[in-house]
Amino acid sequence: MRKVVVIGGSAAGMMAAISAAVYDSNADVTVVSRDLTAYRRPGIPALVAGYISDPAGAGVFAGETLGQYKIRLICPAEVTNINVKTKTVSVQGEGKIQELGFDSAVIATGGYPIIPKIPGSEKKGVYTFTTFEGAQEIVEATREAETAVVVGAGFVALEIAESLMHKGLDVYFNVRSRILRKIVEPDVSEFLSRRFDKSGLKMLIGEAISEVGGAGSVEYVVHKSKKISTKVVIMGTGVKPSVSLAEKCGIALGSSGAIKVDNRMQTSVADIYAAGDCAESPDLGTGRFVYSPVGSIGAMAGRIAGANAAGGNEESKGFLRAQTDEILGMQIFSIGHSTTTAKEVNLAVTVRDLRAPVSGQDDRGAGSFETGKLLTDIDNRIVGAQLVSVYHGSQYAWQLYQAVLRGKDREKFLKEFNSPRRKFTETMLATAGSTISVENVGDDNALRWQNKLCQKQEQ
Amino acid sequence: MDKIIIVDIEKCLACKSCEIACALAHSRSKILSEAAQESPKPQRMMAVEAAGEYGVPIQCRHCESAPCIEICPTGAIHREDEQSPVVVEADLCIGCKLCMLVCPFGVLKIGKEGRAIIKCDMCYERLKEGMVPECVEACPTGAIKLVSLEEVTKSRRKEASEQIVRESGSGKGRQGKAKRVKGGK
Repeated sequence: MRKVVVIGGSAAGMMAAISAAVYDSNADVTVVSRDLTAYRRPGIPALVAGYISDPAGAGVFAGETLGQYKIRLICPAEVTNINVKTKTVSVQGEGKIQELGFDSAVIATGGYPIIPKIPGSEKKGVYTFTTFEGAQEIVEATREAETAVVVGAGFVALEIAESLMHKGLDVYFNVRSRILRKIVEPDVSEFLSRRFDKSGLKMLIGEAISEVGGAGSVEYVVHKSKKISTKVVIMGTGVKPSVSLAEKCGIALGSSGAIKVDNRMQTSVADIYAAGDCAESPDLGTGRFVYSPVGSIGAMAGRIAGANAAGGNEESKGFLRAQTDEILGMQIFSIGHSTTTAKEVNLAVTVRDLRAPVSGQDDRGAGSFETGKLLTDIDNRIVGAQLVSVYHGSQYAWQLYQAVLRGKDREKFLKEFNSPRRKFTETMLATAGSTISVENVGDDNALRWQNKLCQKQEQ
Repeated sequence: MDKIIIVDIEKCLACKSCEIACALAHSRSKILSEAAQESPKPQRMMAVEAAGEYGVPIQCRHCESAPCIEICPTGAIHREDEQSPVVVEADLCIGCKLCMLVCPFGVLKIGKEGRAIIKCDMCYERLKEGMVPECVEACPTGAIKLVSLEEVTKSRRKEASEQIVRESGSGKGRQGKAKRVKGGK
């Protein structure tokens, strides 16, 4: 019986465990997790907003699911060492230290929050939110507060800011460069900043806050030599891969500082795999390995790592990063490369504005969108797309997703680009209802996974 | 799946009874007076959208080849069997929102509670017991209907053939012929 040990119990780790159990139903799969329960990262803003009071509400991969696949969970526990020669891990937890033998292991230790080096950032009143404990501290701290400063650039930082605004706080949002720098173009960032500012989120842009001041706990921050009084500062400045365990065991790191893997998610050590926010992953367009700490990529990589750990031979040529969120009434979509990520993989891109295929809007704003970008490589193939809309942007987003996934030719794509919603409404007006069939959008891996999962459920 | 929800928008008053019924069906208490007090408020999985001067009740189309199923990295969105609508296994959903990104109809959303994806499940439990979905049940004008695909195509065939006859000439004989065909079924 093959023994698989998964280190880390979040999206990538749990997917690896389930995938291993699906691949080989006789495998003995154990997950060692630091957290009591796995939870959705997007659940943290919900906790801050007060929509949920119990972390269990955002729980994922709960007991029944793990039981169904006969996965053993050891938590809260920490793996202190991986002995790659004897193939054992040392697990500290449940009041003892135990040695677990394995045939293959998956490292999914995730990431930890980056706290920028700002004078005073160690003061009481400065919070991070990658864990539920951190989020609960924020809930406590903001109960009485009137203002808060959120530092960050990504979706989750923006969601937290929006959650705090809903609670009635005056929220300042500080970005050193520009918002969503990694995933959208500069003028899209600027457009969003202007809109958010109009919606009441006070933007502090272009420079990091230079000081977090106060006697003992936070009383003010300084931005561009202007003092802003606040008792709460929330750092959402991204994550760094947690690699200390891997490093200690002699597992190689890539140039990004995350664990180096191959297309099968195997590390430099045979039978040890890595996935999620601790590891690199292949980029779909170029095949190069990059650090892309996104939940969906973690889950996809975990799926492959788990199957291989259970004796399979799955590989990915590359993952397509695609993200969407709705912040203060703006739906934001980013698919594939932006100029920032393209630079990281030495991909030459051309950025052009994308215009809506239909003009005008109905009374809910459906029709044209606010702003869009299309990125193409030197062969005029689409490698990235961005779109901002107020209402029903997904009708365009799925076309853009296909275009990026298949690397469609730009000219050809623009001829096909249309408004399915408009078409749908017209069809509805003309007839009494309709179903619309759509082209397959998933990659082959996803389809295979679906089939496997279905077979498993039938058994 | 051999049954689909269709909408006759000529009959839709945009009264939103379907939205209320949907939210109530997916509330914790299932009792209107209590559901209204719940926090977060019960969420509807379908919506009546304004389109020009019409209201269009729109719910998940449960596409045969569903982009959301294909893109879901964890297999949380799936069909239980061939006759099953597209449903979400919340425990497997990591909240990555890829399905929201690819849905051509924009009918998936993040639930306020727990932030897993929520979507129309066509009231699958009711369907299994031979009942119609709540939105269909609630519609006072019969604008929302649950019909089999065969029924839809049959009525569409009939409409089309009558249209052909209408447009191909106004001769009485021809119309009579069409009537005989209709009566002969």
